[in-house]
Amino acid sequence: MAELQPSDSGRCTYFFLYDGSKVKGEGDPTREGICYFYPEETPLDRQELLCGQLAGVGRCVSELSLSPVRVLQLRRNKFAIRMKDDFFWALGCSMDVPIVSVCELLDQLIDLFTFYNGSIRQSYQLNSQEALAARWAQYLSHLQSGSSELHHIFSCLRTIDSTNVDPLLLLKAALILQACQRCPLVLAGCILFRGRVVSTQMFPELTMKVMVHESETYTKAPRSNGQSSSSPSGGAVSSTTVFLTLSELQYLQSAPVDKDFSSHSTPHKDTVPPRKTRLSRTLSDMASTESEPSDPGSPPSPQKVSFSPDSTFSPVPSQSLEPPFSNGKHSHEAEEEALEESYYHSFHSNGGGGGGGGGDTSVFEEDSPLNGGRGDAACGTVFDFRESRSGNEESRDDEVQEEACRGGGVCGSTGDPLPPSPPPLPRSGALGDPEESPLVPMTLYMHRVKGLVLALLVELHFLSDTAATEEVYHSSLASLNGLEAHLRTISPGPPGPPGPYFFSHFDCIQSTLTTNLSGGPGGAPERPFVRATSLLHSHFCNTETLQEAIIRSAGAAVYGTRSVAQETFFQQHGASLRNSGIPNHQDSAFSLPSKARHRLLKHGVNLL
Amino acid sequence: MTSKSALLKVILLGDGGVGKSSLMNRYVTNKFDSHLFHTIGVEFLNKELEVDGHHVTLQIWDTAGQERFRSLRTPFYRGSDCCLLTFSVDDGQSFHNLSNWKKEFTYYADVKDPDNFPFVVLGNKLDVPERQVSGEDARQWCRENGGHPYFETSAKDATNVASAFEEAVRRILALDDRADHLIHTNTVDLQRKTPPDPSCC
Repeated sequence: MAELQPSDSGRCTYFFLYDGSKVKGEGDPTREGICYFYPEETPLDRQELLCGQLAGVGRCVSELSLSPVRVLQLRRNKFAIRMKDDFFWALGCSMDVPIVSVCELLDQLIDLFTFYNGSIRQSYQLNSQEALAARWAQYLSHLQSGSSELHHIFSCLRTIDSTNVDPLLLLKAALILQACQRCPLVLAGCILFRGRVVSTQMFPELTMKVMVHESETYTKAPRSNGQSSSSPSGGAVSSTTVFLTLSELQYLQSAPVDKDFSSHSTPHKDTVPPRKTRLSRTLSDMASTESEPSDPGSPPSPQKVSFSPDSTFSPVPSQSLEPPFSNGKHSHEAEEEALEESYYHSFHSNGGGGGGGGGDTSVFEEDSPLNGGRGDAACGTVFDFRESRSGNEESRDDEVQEEACRGGGVCGSTGDPLPPSPPPLPRSGALGDPEESPLVPMTLYMHRVKGLVLALLVELHFLSDTAATEEVYHSSLASLNGLEAHLRTISPGPPGPPGPYFFSHFDCIQSTLTTNLSGGPGGAPERPFVRATSLLHSHFCNTETLQEAIIRSAGAAVYGTRSVAQETFFQQHGASLRNSGIPNHQDSAFSLPSKARHRLLKHGVNLL
Repeated sequence: MTSKSALLKVILLGDGGVGKSSLMNRYVTNKFDSHLFHTIGVEFLNKELEVDGHHVTLQIWDTAGQERFRSLRTPFYRGSDCCLLTFSVDDGQSFHNLSNWKKEFTYYADVKDPDNFPFVVLGNKLDVPERQVSGEDARQWCRENGGHPYFETSAKDATNVASAFEEAVRRILALDDRADHLIHTNTVDLQRKTPPDPSCC
């Protein structure tokens, strides 16, 4: 533990993109193939050494095992590996970062690049290497900036601290987004305040991507506290072209909200149907139950549409995902419509899957929005994948090995690459899909009011449609002004006494995190908790059947529990651990689950 | 103060559903949407205009009329230069509540001199045929409560909307002029153009 550097341990130590097509012949220097290398000040021969070794080993293992390498270990670094055509990406983190987190980080990075630049090959044909290097650096620093180590572990969205925000304001934000959708050229949107999500209609991965542009425009724009927002000129509005995968697009378009919307006169009603009552707290819930310190709610509305196809793979996770459907059923007819629609979808994909030739691909298409879009749907889908891919004995072996590594800390230094591991998270996103299914250019429209940003994904011709742009601009301006004024005046308030416990609660569906940790770079007392959380999260992701676990050292015990929708971690302070090293029913660690259940209720975390 | 474009804050208050948002939208964007949702908290739009040779930027704050949004809206009363008390001519209750709105405003806006604070009263929804509040009743209320100007408006038809907001501006400007005047005549002018500050005396 002494050798760890707490503040940096979640950070990427190396990242590179290597283009194998530039290095074909025996005499071609490796450096020709290096498109981008981080840290940029790394001496070139060292860059070559690392690229050469990893790319060589990666290729070799892939060919031997006929499956893509996902993770390699080299000295004290753990590398997530991605290969696509001749391109080879590697992202290295220190050994104590969970494999899932490293892989997630790399996927996010590649996804981000693709989102803003289109296909890798094409963007390297069209742009200079220097220009693209700046982008990689930008995305990398964005993904690693600002948030706490826990955020890195879960790769979750940064949301506003909703404990101090009146839930009505979250409703207000959601209504602004819905009002924008009255324009048929608007697909979906999100509202951000000072780099944090207030409300979003997109799935978490897409929201994350959009946030990069937001932070970019924020840093570019000089901070004017004055009246920058007051001018109705185009100054506050910007746009950029982005690229969605076909599956992401289908997924956005499948949202029943879009179709129904214009016919309803009460938008409030519309908020209800697509949302789940249990898995994610809906905005209307929030309005009524203040006790829920829920977050702004990325309504995973259309998610259920894509969940259901999973049933073709393995019935178990989708069964556990279905209750939210039926929960939702009780209130509105509209929900039933949505429900029917989702069944319709699943029926279709089932039909496709069962229907012989090409069946697999159709199932895959149905499934890919999940992968491309939602790593966090994870726990449900990860296992689908494993099961679907031949019940993979390999994967089990890997887990064992991974655990062994953690336990003994031996194999880290050998430099032996791990055998190819299965995708730890099913986000094949940037890898295969985008180029197999073509990328669709869209426009990302942003309207900034000081620290508040309305970001909308719109059709390309939205900007040339004056009527549409004016409608969206004018219908949202007053509300945005107001929302900004409200949010700005909310004082963060004293963080409050830390309480006699630590907890963190990860909502896998919305990809959001609730915690009472200060979030500063690793305060000493938090370290064991963060490490334990990291380890448990990794185990939860790798072991589908694992529901609860307690992890302990001589001085601390951390309890973790998870369901399809959430992971929760809890540590009680001060309780002297009675622990002689022998399992003992009086061990105070065994009281953690009940303590967690009681303590966390007031944070809106229900473990009952 | 009025030499270059001054920012004047006016606030629309009144019962839920009387058409405050519609009045603001009609005035600033010249649009009318009959399907607006309840305003939550506050919203505002800016409009630049010229009244009697003065260029001003009018910042119009629209508020939520429903009681449950009270705690969200009241913090934004402060700093208002004029208050537009709004009711709907087809809703007697909204008219009777005007004095409550006035009270709420003076309390939360912390108005120094409530008797001289500019209020403007708007009777909206003139287009609706079934009236419950007569023009005479409204005018009488205005006379008895401090001589506020009264406008009958229709955000739907754009009737009288602009004149109501312009009147608000005139009232503010008139008050400023009077304040300037008072300063010049009733105080010893130690520092020219500096408003009297109790702490410096």
